[in-house]
Amino acid sequence: MSNLASPLDGIKVLDFSQGISGGIATKMLAVMGAEVIKIEPPQSGDISRLRGPFIDNTPHPEKSGQFLYLNMNKKGVTLSLDDTVGIDIAVKLIEWADIIVENFRPGKMDEWGIGYSTIEEINPAKILVSLSPFGQTGPYKNYRGNDITAQSLGGLAFVTGDPSREPLKIGGEPAEYFCGLSGFSGALVALTYREINGIGQHVDVSAQAGIGVAQQYSGLSYILTGNERGRRLASSPLYKTADGQVGITLRQTDWPGVCEMIGRPELEHHEKFKDIDAREKNQDEITSLISEWASDKKKQDLYHASQERGMTWGYICDAKDLIESPQYQHREYFVELDHPIAGKLTYPGLPMRWGSNQWDLKPAPTLGQHNKEVYSSILAWDDEKINEMKNSGII
Amino acid sequence: MNLPLEGIRILDPSQVWAGPTCTKILGDLGADIIKVESARRMDIARGDAHNPQIEQGMYLDNEPTDKPWNRTGRYLDRNRSKRNICLDLTHERGVDAFKRLAMNSDVVIENYRQGVMARFGLSYEDLKKIKPDIIMVTLGSQGATGPEVAYGSFGVTLEQTAGVASITGYLGGDPSTSGVLFPDPLVAVASVGIVLSAIRQHRETGEGVYIDFSQREMTSSILGDMIMDYTMNNNIQSPIGNRHRTFAPQGIYHCQGDDKWISISVENDDDWKALTQCMNNAALENDPRFANAEGRHEHHDEIDEHIDQWTSKKDAFIAMEILQHANVAAGVVNSGEQLVHDPQLVNRGFWEYSGRGPSDARPYLSRPFQFSKTPGSTQLPAPLLGEHTEGILREVANMSDEEIAELAELGVTASDPLLF
Repeated sequence: MSNLASPLDGIKVLDFSQGISGGIATKMLAVMGAEVIKIEPPQSGDISRLRGPFIDNTPHPEKSGQFLYLNMNKKGVTLSLDDTVGIDIAVKLIEWADIIVENFRPGKMDEWGIGYSTIEEINPAKILVSLSPFGQTGPYKNYRGNDITAQSLGGLAFVTGDPSREPLKIGGEPAEYFCGLSGFSGALVALTYREINGIGQHVDVSAQAGIGVAQQYSGLSYILTGNERGRRLASSPLYKTADGQVGITLRQTDWPGVCEMIGRPELEHHEKFKDIDAREKNQDEITSLISEWASDKKKQDLYHASQERGMTWGYICDAKDLIESPQYQHREYFVELDHPIAGKLTYPGLPMRWGSNQWDLKPAPTLGQHNKEVYSSILAWDDEKINEMKNSGII
Repeated sequence: MNLPLEGIRILDPSQVWAGPTCTKILGDLGADIIKVESARRMDIARGDAHNPQIEQGMYLDNEPTDKPWNRTGRYLDRNRSKRNICLDLTHERGVDAFKRLAMNSDVVIENYRQGVMARFGLSYEDLKKIKPDIIMVTLGSQGATGPEVAYGSFGVTLEQTAGVASITGYLGGDPSTSGVLFPDPLVAVASVGIVLSAIRQHRETGEGVYIDFSQREMTSSILGDMIMDYTMNNNIQSPIGNRHRTFAPQGIYHCQGDDKWISISVENDDDWKALTQCMNNAALENDPRFANAEGRHEHHDEIDEHIDQWTSKKDAFIAMEILQHANVAAGVVNSGEQLVHDPQLVNRGFWEYSGRGPSDARPYLSRPFQFSKTPGSTQLPAPLLGEHTEGILREVANMSDEEIAELAELGVTASDPLLF
């Protein structure tokens, strides 16, 4: 008996998607036990292979951190969809799959003749998950979009950043990830219904709507109170320490603890700081008191000391801090995987523990690594056929 | 209309944001959500019961009324499609009632601080004794183990400790947190799939499971590029404002009017050509320094000035239309008001009306996904504190009218918060 967690064991996923949104959606399915076959264009491969970050900052399709991270546990095959022979093969793979995932521009699958109506005709129990910047319908459906457009049109950027400057996006690609994780959850919703009722459907995920959910306060403030929330100073302002920054919460209940921490207990009941209104009026003075005090301290010392006093201060963790975090080390959040070309690398693991079982994490596939396995088992091709397809550029 | 999650029951003592938003989505899609609160300690998203803070609370119509806890925007949005029972879990009869509810539920989702459920006598081990196949999900800020397990946090703390803030901020400036507490909705939307995966496993094997889900780790999990850049190259990334590490140029630019903006992202050389043609700027288009992304990165400041000069004379929506018709990724930076009227979101029915009666109906946020055959929608407006206590005890815990009356008399159940 294995003690590996595999809650999605037996689910078959065909993954036409590329980049971050599709990558994280099918990665979640794969690491949780689904069999995911990832289709990549021959030669160039998934666009993540071209985007890096790369080992030694040198572009190489098998050494992209983005690709390696997003494609763990998947089987990789190559297939050209620009060719009718390729489309016929795609149909056979669709016949094999329970769930199909794609993030082409809306309508592209239909143009190829493998849109949802075709998939439904093949078998109405099949689930198609489509990820796109704005969704499959509506006036913007054909608009181009990526992370920053979703953060803009989804209402997040307007309320992030300095009130006196331009709006600011969250760094990295949070809208792409949010869209992909919504696709993962959407697939599970459709799967739940299918496993009880035998009926599949088309799941239509919009990155803009994802950020529309995430922004919450900006929309709600306007709807319920008529006021724009706008950009405002952080609820947990950051202060410089000797080695970085800490975020200090200044709620009413925190004030006595803050006075104690900075070694000025007498300020707790001082006329100028005794309640929220008074402190707001004298905010500059508080800022300079805390700044001066924090400037020669270490961020982690302050984080731990405040938390031990029951205050929810944070500290700015960069990538090195995360790797060295005692909490992450204790929980073995980071894992090491050995990839045939990229070698041994440390990766973020999964954020959830599944009872006492372990996740069975495997490195991302090299381009076309599983061609032989997949095409021989699902399409019953022999070596000769595989070579022929390879030479003609179909796979 | 069929709902995809009909027949699933979730016992939900979770509070604040991530947990309630997860169960709201599950409820919209047909799961029976039983939200458990106590009169001693309501969901803090309900705000201060006797000292409502008008600005913080986003009260419906700015009117807290004499029952402000039923009117905060945060609570109303995150708790639709649920029933509500008010139960004192520090009382043994409250614990007993919770267990009887758990016996007839599929999943318990909680986000108390580490140890609180155990103190109530409602740990996974306790619940397993009365229902061996229960699924329990702990949405802990730090997970359910480790030296920092007892540490508290809000979304704004997690943005710092999970790493997001280290790469958020203006170019060359300090790290910064976002204006939206991003980790909470992120955890909420991911946990929908996690919960349903556990339910799927139960359907296949008949077994329950305890899921220890770390919000901090979930948030770090969206930083693949940043973390891999360090583990591969020892490179520590820092804020680059609205720019992109590959695409150039990318930024947020002024438009006509006060606080009006547009984002533009040039992913490749074709996009660059299209953008400069939209700007009618042949000099820019033909400048060899800008021919490829490398050159455009190097001269990003200079390029930004040209773009800003062009956008600042344009209405943001017109600029977006011009650029999108030339196939360039561009988006109006929607304010709250613009978001509510956004043509795409409105067309797709993103805003879902709910409220207690027509005069209270407002458009609330729906979901990031749509389902072609089982769409789902708001099933119930956010419940009053303890609104469904009696019905839930009768129907789910199988209690008699006498028992229900007794619990009310003992103060184990209530419909108003206890004021201290």
